[in-house]
Amino acid sequence: MSATRLPEPADERALRVEREFEALLDAAIDGVVVIDHEARIELLSHAAERMFGYREEELVGRNVSILMPEPFRSEHDAQLQRYLKTRVPHVIGIAREVTAQRRDGTEFAAEIAVGLVKGMEPPRFVAFIRDITERKLDQEALIRSEAELHMAQELANLGNYVLHPDGRGRDFVSPQLYRMLGLRPEGTALVTAQILPLVHPADRFRVEQAFEHLQTSARAFDMEYRTLRADGTLRYIHHIGQAICADDGRIVRHVGTLHDITDRRRAEDEVRRMQERIAHFGRISTMGEMAAGIAHEVNQPLTAIATFARACQRLLSSPDFALEDVSAALEQIGQQALRAGEVIRRLRSFVKNREVKRELIGANRLLEDLLTLAQTDARHHGVRIYLQQSPDAPLVQADSVQIQQVILNLVRNSIDAMLDVPEQHREIILRTRVDEEGDVEFMVADRGTGLDEATLAELFNPFFTTKPGGTGLGLAISLSIVRAHGGKLWCRANPLGGAQFLFTLPASPRAST
Amino acid sequence: MRVNANSARPTVFVVDDDSAVRDALKLLLRSVGHPVETYGSGQDFLDGYPDDQPGCLVLDIRMPGMSGLELQQQLNTRHSLLPIIFITGHGDVPMAVEAMQAGAMDFIQKPFRDQDLLDRINQALDKDASNRAALSERNAIRKRLETLTPREREVMDLVVDGKANKVIAGDLNLSQRTVEIHRARVMEKMQATSLAHLVRMVLEVEEE
Repeated sequence: MSATRLPEPADERALRVEREFEALLDAAIDGVVVIDHEARIELLSHAAERMFGYREEELVGRNVSILMPEPFRSEHDAQLQRYLKTRVPHVIGIAREVTAQRRDGTEFAAEIAVGLVKGMEPPRFVAFIRDITERKLDQEALIRSEAELHMAQELANLGNYVLHPDGRGRDFVSPQLYRMLGLRPEGTALVTAQILPLVHPADRFRVEQAFEHLQTSARAFDMEYRTLRADGTLRYIHHIGQAICADDGRIVRHVGTLHDITDRRRAEDEVRRMQERIAHFGRISTMGEMAAGIAHEVNQPLTAIATFARACQRLLSSPDFALEDVSAALEQIGQQALRAGEVIRRLRSFVKNREVKRELIGANRLLEDLLTLAQTDARHHGVRIYLQQSPDAPLVQADSVQIQQVILNLVRNSIDAMLDVPEQHREIILRTRVDEEGDVEFMVADRGTGLDEATLAELFNPFFTTKPGGTGLGLAISLSIVRAHGGKLWCRANPLGGAQFLFTLPASPRAST
Repeated sequence: MRVNANSARPTVFVVDDDSAVRDALKLLLRSVGHPVETYGSGQDFLDGYPDDQPGCLVLDIRMPGMSGLELQQQLNTRHSLLPIIFITGHGDVPMAVEAMQAGAMDFIQKPFRDQDLLDRINQALDKDASNRAALSERNAIRKRLETLTPREREVMDLVVDGKANKVIAGDLNLSQRTVEIHRARVMEKMQATSLAHLVRMVLEVEEE
């Protein structure tokens, strides 16, 4: 610009410079204030007028401290005098954040830069003032949102990281992540390298594999593993990790979150244990109801054994006995002992307090294994049980004891429903069928008294019972077991009279017939 | 009911649905020399058992189909003499009581001592024998009664009532001599050794 300028007379030039200076002042977004060596205001730009709410002529000649709140107002003159004496700058040439005061007394955050007008004595000063209220708000908002993020992570047991393997970019590891792992924050080493030694040995191989895949092929992972802190506490961690790649396939960023799900897992474990206990209680009370039948079923072989044994003794003490009689009796004694043992074994495996264990098992096998126990009760009450098994019944993923518990409970209900019908009608059909969706449908059908409307409405409610001495938990427990297996349980009237209870179990994907 | 007292040796009949218990009882009873017949159900027994065979019945109270109690009722309607010993389980006391009220001889709880069962069986067989002896005695008396003429029957009834010949002669408008002849014929036909014997025989038959 100066190159195009024409030579001009000195007074014209002075006028032009003053105009340009005024234009400059008025155009400036920052407020400009010029003061003399006694802090008297000489000039106030338009922007400064707007900022403080004064007009220039009101302030010219007044002390600049009017633009400051206490205690700065009282201190200002002394500071200025100190500068003039020592010439050691505190404000000059350095942008500072200060608090300014408007005409109406309100205060605002300002950034101020003060310059010394050179070559004049006594000196004058030019101050550029910027209203930084917005910026301050933004900053505070940022600080607040960071604090909130921290708090949220704290509350949610969540930690996250953003790492740049090539060193281009600011790495970030949230303090919660370190706390979760029981580590002290240090370095920006790849988080994965810090985590791996903490992973429970049983999970380490799996975790190592996932980390490696992330490194080599940028394959994201979403996994749960356990960590062991130095003090031995076990935590369950849910870790989601991703790699972000540049166009050339290079990994530029690792991002991930770690979620401490220990409490949730413990709660889930607790719920599962509770369900197991309830189911166990249900089995024990079922067995209690079946006690007479079971006693009978064990008594029969014991009676046979005792009688065979005494018969043998008598035979052996008689002068002429047939050896084959004794031999056949001993054979029978052995068999009957096994028979009694089998009843007890089935009983024990049914009532044992145990972990739920799902395994792949044929739907028909479930029925067959149950039959010994079911017959025990049925025979005792003059009830006949007929099996109708579908040859196509699939394999299911099930806890066999719990499913047998469901079936046995239904069989017991059926038996109880038939105590008042003539013995020739007391029969139960146990059926498996493949339903329209390919799942297996179990049916327990009886010819008993059936179910009235009122009973139907309450049937599955806990503690609802129609039996004297019943707990009312049998069907409620059965329902929860079937649902936990992904199946349905319902009932309907038997067209022949009585009731039919049905439930389904999803066919296992690996099932084949 | 016709009874043939000579038809067979007393037999122990066993009805139990459990084949092991059945076989064990069979061996035990054979080991002490009792003839044994076993049946798997009440119906099998009704179909196979000849009415007049002496012995006793060992009966499981709890069986599918026809229960022990139902078989007992069937036998009662057939006027069976066979003493019944019920085998019961632990919880079957009410049923055992019912069985006793319906005339069962005894019951025994499973599992039992063999001697207890054998003692009860022996008692039952003794009872059956005496029942049958009494029954055949009554049948013999009835047969003898059937040989009496109506007049002899009239005279006998009055004799048993304790009336003197003279009174009987008056009642029947007969001579005392004729009454004496009828009376002697009665004593002879009834094989009575004394008046008291005659009275006992008549009472025994009338009690039925």
